[in-house]
Amino acid sequence: MIRLLVALAILFAVGGIKLPMERDLATLHRQEHFRGVEFNLDLREKLGQLGFVAALSGFRAIVADALFIQAHVAWERTEWGRILLLFRHITTLQPRVLLFWDTAAWHMAWNASVAAMNDRTQPRLALRVKAQREYFALGKNFLERGIKNNPDRPQLYEALARLYKEKYKDHQRASEFYARAAAVPDAATFDRRFSAYELSYCEGREREAYERLRGLYDEGEQERLPTLIARLKFLEDKLTIPQDQRIPDKVPVGK
Amino acid sequence: MTNIENAPTLQRFSAPTPAKPHRPFSVPRILAITFNTLTELTRLRVFYVLLVFALLLIGSSIFMAQFSFQQEFQILKDVSLGAISIFTSLLAIVATARLLPQDIEDRTVYTILAKPVPRFEYVLGKITGVLLLLAISTLVMSAAFLVVLYLREQAVIHATLSQMAGAPPEQLADALRAIRSSAINIDIFPGIIIIYLKACLLAALTLFVSTFATTNIFTIVVMAFIYFIGHLQATAREYWLQEHSSGLLTRVFLAIVALLFPDLQAFNLVDDIVAGTAISLALFIKTALLGIFYTTIYTLLAAFVFYGKEL
Amino acid sequence: MTDSPRRGRAEADPAVAVHSLTKIFSVPLHPARGIVAVKDLNLRIEPGEVFGLLGPNGSGKSTTLKIILGLVSPTRGRTEIFGRDSRLVESREAVGFLPENPYFYKYLSGEETLRFFGRLCGLRGARLKERINELLELVGLTRARKRRLGTYSKGMLQRIGLAQALIHDPRLVVLDEPTAGVDPAGSREIRDLILDLKRRGITVLLSSHLLAQAQEICDRVGILADGVLVREGHLRELIAIENQTELVIADASTQLVNEIESIINRSNAKLVERRKSTTTLERLFLEATTKNDDGMTKPT
Repeated sequence: MIRLLVALAILFAVGGIKLPMERDLATLHRQEHFRGVEFNLDLREKLGQLGFVAALSGFRAIVADALFIQAHVAWERTEWGRILLLFRHITTLQPRVLLFWDTAAWHMAWNASVAAMNDRTQPRLALRVKAQREYFALGKNFLERGIKNNPDRPQLYEALARLYKEKYKDHQRASEFYARAAAVPDAATFDRRFSAYELSYCEGREREAYERLRGLYDEGEQERLPTLIARLKFLEDKLTIPQDQRIPDKVPVGK
Repeated sequence: MTNIENAPTLQRFSAPTPAKPHRPFSVPRILAITFNTLTELTRLRVFYVLLVFALLLIGSSIFMAQFSFQQEFQILKDVSLGAISIFTSLLAIVATARLLPQDIEDRTVYTILAKPVPRFEYVLGKITGVLLLLAISTLVMSAAFLVVLYLREQAVIHATLSQMAGAPPEQLADALRAIRSSAINIDIFPGIIIIYLKACLLAALTLFVSTFATTNIFTIVVMAFIYFIGHLQATAREYWLQEHSSGLLTRVFLAIVALLFPDLQAFNLVDDIVAGTAISLALFIKTALLGIFYTTIYTLLAAFVFYGKEL
Repeated sequence: MTDSPRRGRAEADPAVAVHSLTKIFSVPLHPARGIVAVKDLNLRIEPGEVFGLLGPNGSGKSTTLKIILGLVSPTRGRTEIFGRDSRLVESREAVGFLPENPYFYKYLSGEETLRFFGRLCGLRGARLKERINELLELVGLTRARKRRLGTYSKGMLQRIGLAQALIHDPRLVVLDEPTAGVDPAGSREIRDLILDLKRRGITVLLSSHLLAQAQEICDRVGILADGVLVREGHLRELIAIENQTELVIADASTQLVNEIESIINRSNAKLVERRKSTTTLERLFLEATTKNDDGMTKPT
């Protein structure tokens, strides 16, 4: 009995030693983007008792995956509200999984928005457009939050650039985000090109776009893809670049 | 059977064992108990049930093929690593909980300790037997997981190759690169080692609890409680050290949790590893050292309490 | 006796010495209500003798043995084995123990069990193999060596228990109720083994509540009741009835016996009893149930 009490006392004392070790480790975790689940009563309500306990006990990935499967089912049933809700939980649990942010944004900005636009039950176009734009905004929001949690990875910047390009038709923003993607390590090889392409569509930024495209062209064969050449030739004409400074390639057929 | 009545005057059967000086610490003695414990544990039905469950779980992820390959691999990895985590933790607790009480109930502890075996070596032999069992289970489950992942990766690669037969080589290379990078991620291995160390910690802690627990059920219930609280310890700790406005009672309670319980969240790195976060050497080593530290402390405390236990 | 190099002072040491031993088992949370298992016990067991610690269940026999073996710590007093305090681990180099109702690992074979315990005692390799063979031979389990302990009878378990107690060639063997629950044939075998040990110069300390059996093998006994030693000494002296003499006569005619009886009646002595000598029920049982060489039970 005495020994047990002594043992407990030792545990407390050891506790004092291990506490700084654990704090140090926690700081390291945060720096390297390892995060646990925060004790959050809100989360408990959202996930229910079992899900909450499972998430806390180190199974948050599985809980997130289970919700993800539910979201898939909801998609098959086109339950957009439910999809939105589920993805909010999923991204709270697993903010470092790019797939979840990306899929969430895709469901909102590409799927739900289209469904809203084609909604037979809403006769007024203005309201359908409004709904569509709301979904765009939701998708954008997912990607922005995703980027905040994953500033070191290019994929979400690329996704956001695509969203601006395809949905908002905002080439300037698209160009910006492709450029930001390119600045991050492990970026896709096409990010710089795409950034320059988008810039080339912006009114008033032709000169800048031309410089960039020309710079890429000069880097070598790997950059001289048909689209790049087509855009370059387009800008050469628009900016009336002198003949001796133009690229020798012909405009590719079909572009 | 020697016929005593007819035997000639008996001498000692062979040269008497030369009097060896008693060695206060003997590795062969400890190893004898280690392997004996391992043999004993592998006969536990629970061990096989858990192992089969884990393997089934890992194998069932094959049926996730309806999703895109990124989704499928994500789920496969999460479920498999989750299975490995829960089953090693569960095995650690359940297998260790009965070790000492069983020996005491069966009185085999008397025959062992009546030999010149220090109690400390007995405890050490028992825990190393469990750690060996956990290592073997982790290896088996990890191997199964990697095989399944590899097979699925190959299947997806073949499907992609046939689908993209006419595509330009750069595009093909990109696609294959995407598949490979979502499949096996080299950081999974340190992640699994950390899972193993967490199980070791739980085993040592269970051994400690079993030295003073009155029944098996008590040990297991206490460990379940510790498991749960251990995952909240990080939050309690931060609250205690940062919050200045809580009442005294709350602060005392938080202090007790922070000091007494291990931070089990620190060992859950695989969730983020699967998400693609790389694990630095510094982080791995520090986490591993923390795990080894806990395991050692709990083992020593178990030996300490067992030393004074009335048998 | 062993040709052990450590002689000199060791010769003077008793095999077991118990000095003013008291053991009180405390009830948790009720310090005043402890159970006194052993009270102020003093004992001395000389090397080479067979000592029986007797008493009813709960008299403190088991507790005393466990304290001598260092498994339980005394509340007051101390115990020693060949001069070394029982609480030291090295004191157990010289002693082997067979506990009451031991439950060895059922899935191990006889051989594997001995190997395990041998390793615990520091035996290895060829020497360990040799010892295992010798001991299996000694306790008569050579043919059963590969079978799992789960298939052994109670008597066989006791014998393997004795073998593991002897694995490291101890000078003292402690047996707690060695024949409890064993059938008469098995009992006889164990008794023969104990006598064999005695012949080899090994000291034997046993506890029993089977008095008739203890009577056959012990040199000295101690009787414990409620933790107190109430009688102690050489068996013969203790159970001799001082003023009575027995004459066992073979082939005596009735006339001769009557004559002797009348001589006694004429003297100051008194004839207490006259009867036919009896064998023991045990001998009758063994004779009746032991199979002869053809494998058939002997007819009456």
